[in-house]
Amino acid sequence: MTGADAGRALSWTLFVQLIGRDIRSRFIGSASGWLWLLVTPLLLLAVYGFVFGVIFSARVPAGLDVPFIAWLAAALWPWLAFSEGVLRGAQAIRQHASLISKVALPRHLLVAASTTAVFLLHLVGYLLVLLVLAGLLGVPLRPGGILSLLFALVTLYLFALGLGLGLGALQVYLRDLEQFVPTFFLFWFFMTPILYPPDMLPATMARWMAINPMSNWMEVIRAGLFHGQLVPGMGDALVMGGAALFAVACGGWLFARLSPYFEDFL
Amino acid sequence: MSEILLRLDGVGKVFPPTVSASQRLGALLRILRSGRSGTGTPVLDDISFEVRRGESMAVIGANGAGKSTLLKIITGVLAPSSGQLQQQGSRAALLELGAGFDPEYTGMENLRMNATFLGLSQRQVDEQLDDILAFADIGASIHEPVKHYSSGMVVRLGFAVVASVRPDLLITDEVLAVGDESFQKKCIRWIEQYLDQGGTMLMVSHNMYQVQKLCRQALWLEDGAARQVGDVFDVTQGYLAWHERQDARDAASGSGHGHPELYGVSKLNIAGSDSTAGGEPRLAMGEELVVDLQLRSPDGRAPVALVGLVRADGTPVYGVASDHDGAQGSQVASDTYHYRLRFSDLSLLPGGYVVRGHAMDPEGLRVHDTAEVSFTVTGRSRELGLVRLAHRWESS
Repeated sequence: MTGADAGRALSWTLFVQLIGRDIRSRFIGSASGWLWLLVTPLLLLAVYGFVFGVIFSARVPAGLDVPFIAWLAAALWPWLAFSEGVLRGAQAIRQHASLISKVALPRHLLVAASTTAVFLLHLVGYLLVLLVLAGLLGVPLRPGGILSLLFALVTLYLFALGLGLGLGALQVYLRDLEQFVPTFFLFWFFMTPILYPPDMLPATMARWMAINPMSNWMEVIRAGLFHGQLVPGMGDALVMGGAALFAVACGGWLFARLSPYFEDFL
Repeated sequence: MSEILLRLDGVGKVFPPTVSASQRLGALLRILRSGRSGTGTPVLDDISFEVRRGESMAVIGANGAGKSTLLKIITGVLAPSSGQLQQQGSRAALLELGAGFDPEYTGMENLRMNATFLGLSQRQVDEQLDDILAFADIGASIHEPVKHYSSGMVVRLGFAVVASVRPDLLITDEVLAVGDESFQKKCIRWIEQYLDQGGTMLMVSHNMYQVQKLCRQALWLEDGAARQVGDVFDVTQGYLAWHERQDARDAASGSGHGHPELYGVSKLNIAGSDSTAGGEPRLAMGEELVVDLQLRSPDGRAPVALVGLVRADGTPVYGVASDHDGAQGSQVASDTYHYRLRFSDLSLLPGGYVVRGHAMDPEGLRVHDTAEVSFTVTGRSRELGLVRLAHRWESS
């Protein structure tokens, strides 16, 4: 094994360890442990389903025969994974400040581990929810769309990783981002067709939606799950792949540039 | 020449101002543009040295001299603001008590995590687990959260993990001061064995005895600059002498002076073989120390000369007066007497010392005036104390 290979192997070991530690830290000391992994998003689903599905009587897009709650769940979990992945990844540096100031380690792994841990946890929850929807409630999910779904989830993960790295690096210097970013994500959540179908929007708003790449993700995920769309359309694929690569490149550059001086500003 | 493990070339560190949001934003933009953090508070300036395999180095200096900052730069926790750093081989650092330990997790989980930080794979940890646990010797507590540990237990575990790594270069920052006597001895034994087997250490310590024992080279930092780099004995002696003088200066400020209209000291000189012009006189241990004392006498009678040797911190070593020995001074002018005193084969141990010359009245009852000259005794000796006493080891 050459030195570089050995270094990569160790980085990988460290990465896996950090993910494990991050996941365990979520459950240390809480009695019901893994249950919360599912309970919190389920409660969210219940609240949103009730408020939007029952009170505001939001409907699934015309021509689709699935319950609103299933249609919502299909997009809600990926969004939760994305937003929590970015936010936790961005906080990872400040959260591990004491470690960073004493131990030399590849700092981007801290961010990547946090984001990855969130995605893994929500992926488990997502699978369980989809199984319950298909098995117990008989919602017709199309297995043919698995490739579309996988493409969407992988690019979403990369997109979150890039944003997490960039925001995490900037947050060390600009503390105000810590207040601003979560608020922005709440805004982003409501501006993305998750709780409502895109065709409910007025035409002027629809133009805005077009520049929000997150609507492409939601579109592709639902098209895969409910329509069995084999592969994403060219336009969607370009937007999603492009956004993911752009985020990873920019976030990675920002992080590489700023991370040597983290200790001075933490 | 053995391989260079670490080389610093003009390394400097400036802490950027980070108080206000606008300063932080400015620093952010500067780093993004140029990759450098710009101006601020300088803490290290132009440090250059090399550490070769098998030639351990100590970093010494007063508090706040920049020792810890330097170690952080070497371990890669901090980025230098200027200069270059080159490394070869593996290294492991034990910078602080429990560095990298998360108090919420058990000792075992932290052990694995820390071993990973130091570059051990999980398989290597499994192979060495028994050794690590035996070395740490904290029993069943290994399954307790680290927050319940005493500071001694934390350092035991931390050191045990580092010991299992056996890096090419081991970097420690005064961590061994914690832990009880027996564990300290265990650590020192491990370090000695590690050094014997070709290991190299870069350590910060205030314990000069330990430094001289474990290291070949030393770097003396003062206010962020390298005051002296080189052989461990030269550097530690210079450092100790400087320290003793600082203490003496603090203690002496405010003491009065003799009356010049009475018997007084007009000149005090010392000469050894190595009294360089300008600088402070330096003598090697075992050389001859010559003290020349010129005394003033207002009434023309010969004053008694008293010569004392004290260590630089004021501890008296030896004193003798001319009337004890029945010595006579020579009258060089109507009101001036000259005394010369020789200490052949100077048995003072290396360090900083002061010669005090006193002028007493001719009856030898009162000291009227005092003058001081400080000097340094050099040499390579691990003996302890002030002077070398004649001695002989015998077998049974």
